[in-house]
Amino acid sequence: MPESELLAPPGSKVLLLGNEAIARGAIEAGLDVASAYPGTPSTEIGEALSSVAEELGIYFDWAINEKVAAEIAIAASWSGLRSLTMMKHVGMNVAADAIFTLTYAGVVGGMVIVAADDPQAHSSQNEQDSRHFSIAAKIPTLEPSNSQEAKDFTKVAYDISEKYKLPVMIRTTTRISHQRGIVEVGDVRERRKKGVFKLDEPDRYLQVGNIAVKHHKELVEKLKKVEAEVSDRGDFNRVIGDGSDYGIIASGVSYSYAAEALKRFNLNIKMLKIGMPYPFPIRMVSDFLKSCKKVVVVEESDPIIESHVKMIAKDSNPDVEIYGRETGHLPWAGEYRPGIVIEAISRSFGIKLDLPAVNPAAAEISKKAPARSPTLCPGCPHRSTGYATRRAVKANSIVLGDIGCYALLFQKPFSLAKVSHAMGSSFGFANGFSIATDQPVIALIGDSTFFHAGIPALVEAAHHNRKAVFMILDNRITAMTGHQPHPGVSYTATGRPAREIDLEKLVRSLGIENVEVIDPFDHKRMEKAVRDSLNRDGVSVIIARRECALLTVRKLRQKGRIIPYIVDPERCTYCRVCINTFACPAFIDTGEKVKIDPAVCFGCGACVTVCPYNAIVPQEGSLNWLKEGVGV
Amino acid sequence: MDELNVIIAGVGGQGILFMSRVLGHVAVKKGLNFIQTEVHGLSQRYGSIHTEIRIGRDVQSPLILEGTLDLLMALEPLEALRKATYVNQRTIVVMDIHEIPPVTAYIEKARIPDVDEIISDLKALGAKKVFTVRATDIAVELGDPVLANSVILGAASTTGVLPFSKDEIRSSLSDLSPARYREQNLRAFDAGLKEVEER
Repeated sequence: MPESELLAPPGSKVLLLGNEAIARGAIEAGLDVASAYPGTPSTEIGEALSSVAEELGIYFDWAINEKVAAEIAIAASWSGLRSLTMMKHVGMNVAADAIFTLTYAGVVGGMVIVAADDPQAHSSQNEQDSRHFSIAAKIPTLEPSNSQEAKDFTKVAYDISEKYKLPVMIRTTTRISHQRGIVEVGDVRERRKKGVFKLDEPDRYLQVGNIAVKHHKELVEKLKKVEAEVSDRGDFNRVIGDGSDYGIIASGVSYSYAAEALKRFNLNIKMLKIGMPYPFPIRMVSDFLKSCKKVVVVEESDPIIESHVKMIAKDSNPDVEIYGRETGHLPWAGEYRPGIVIEAISRSFGIKLDLPAVNPAAAEISKKAPARSPTLCPGCPHRSTGYATRRAVKANSIVLGDIGCYALLFQKPFSLAKVSHAMGSSFGFANGFSIATDQPVIALIGDSTFFHAGIPALVEAAHHNRKAVFMILDNRITAMTGHQPHPGVSYTATGRPAREIDLEKLVRSLGIENVEVIDPFDHKRMEKAVRDSLNRDGVSVIIARRECALLTVRKLRQKGRIIPYIVDPERCTYCRVCINTFACPAFIDTGEKVKIDPAVCFGCGACVTVCPYNAIVPQEGSLNWLKEGVGV
Repeated sequence: MDELNVIIAGVGGQGILFMSRVLGHVAVKKGLNFIQTEVHGLSQRYGSIHTEIRIGRDVQSPLILEGTLDLLMALEPLEALRKATYVNQRTIVVMDIHEIPPVTAYIEKARIPDVDEIISDLKALGAKKVFTVRATDIAVELGDPVLANSVILGAASTTGVLPFSKDEIRSSLSDLSPARYREQNLRAFDAGLKEVEER
């Protein structure tokens, strides 16, 4: 993003992504230290900070994983600085060990944890709701409903955090993280710059036995204060409208769907907007329920507010009818859309609301468009790794995938990596399958994912000399989230030099002898390496090293035009081997021949050796990335 | 409801986010309320992607209600077809005619509707007008297929659906273009203005 928008002068109105607005809120609060591991939909908070950190003197870098990132932010807070850590929902699982105990210890400098949930699992393996962590770890939590609130809530979260000496969580969902809206920005507080760690209380940072119990009691007292002084006071939770005895309780982006529905249908229904779901505003909800006969609760992703509302209704107004997921008025899985919320309002209150007319044929016509799932890019090294691996694996091989672009190798024609679970699980599972079965085991992991959570599992495998093939798909970047640096590269998020951790040396240091580093575009060598490794006893490691094609092509475009490859129609026999085994998105099937779409081809030449008839040929000026060492 | 709803659809990598940012830039300059939903992450990798843009006083939701779409800008015809559930009698469609069928469709031997079929389907759904432009072809002629987004912007600016003039859009396109691409983007925009065709 242009830096000018993120650093716009106070009072100006700029278009900010929800995530950028969070970054601006933290900057306005005087942020000193931020650390994170990238993960959709949280990544752009770090991307925004990367673009301005050096100029503002803020420390920001991508950390090896969410737990280390959280620990960096915690230590900064304990040193009196204002700190930030942000992650996708499943990142909370990784950071949780550090965060659960943090609420016992408390904070010194204000600390904000952003948990970005992904209902609909657009770029995720599940739809988990981070507010379960709010309750389980006892973290005061704010839920903004648009970009402006994302900025405002983050800024004020720092004051709450410091006042009550607790971390504060900002919980977003994809449509908040990734909505761009107009934000009026505020003044930027001066930073503290350097902290000092002091032990004013000798056991403050020591959590064990009775000390932990003592701190737990304190924590409960702090939360009661937050409930009375913040949550129940109307700063974040408020009633909008009066009118009828029908009520809507809504949070996050669901609030915007409900509010717009009331406007669209000109309905006089009051709303309780929940901007702080934890600690729960018991008094406020209790009062609201007393004034209602029927209530519908609209929230993503799990019925957390809904269950609390039901518990409170038991005491405050047992007769109130409460609708939501548990009554089947809203779906349990998938994200909400405006139409879903309109329908829930209509059914809950028995009001007929006519949705705008949609031609009944539209759904069928839409389905005529052939499915277009995310696909590996032209020139992607993972396609070549998948192509060669597919040729080498045996029918009973267990091929394990992990989190990253290469997870797409589950698709045809590769049909590899049919297991994709959690960060680092491929390497962990490989240990387990080599114990439990006699099948050949091959585990794929990306470079960034290997650093994040694959190392312990590889150490485990080396220790026991498991019979399995461990492939590190080293594309020299954290690619899927948009190219963030990781410990395997020589620079930081803000472009400072950093020590490049040598993957090969790291692996060899475990005593693993069978280690090969291969350019995946060298299909023959890759296929042979996979085959040999599968036939070998004990641990083998293959490092498939080639830069992400998007980076390569970006550099090439700066130098000049990309010259695509072409198919020689004389030689093309329309055997379709290229499409059916390599499946580059640049291939066009005319029904008689295969062609290469010049608008899609990256001119990498990886497909040349795939054609049995040598029909794929360069044009004048086309490069061959393998032969010319481009991108390695 | 004071609302204007726009979808920009295409294939990941075609520069849809940039087009949305140009429209947002004009909206902010004109003091109009503007909300846009973007797609980041895995879906950007050659998958089907779109952004939803909403302009107007009463707009709060980042997503568009089916049946209220005013303008569908498609950088790829099959992606226009995929958005058929949004098309209604107030919808104007502006689309590229260069199809990029997903390679998986070839593997699965799926049927791939051609541009004429797509146009007639969209009209059958009641689309108010359908405009086409050779956006990708023009972009390739200008030296880079990613310029197709600017061609479509130029074409869409002639339809009168957006509450912005051609010059306002062109000037924001110029402001937001990286210096290296500015001249090419503007040439692509102007080509879109000229070559748009009502079907």
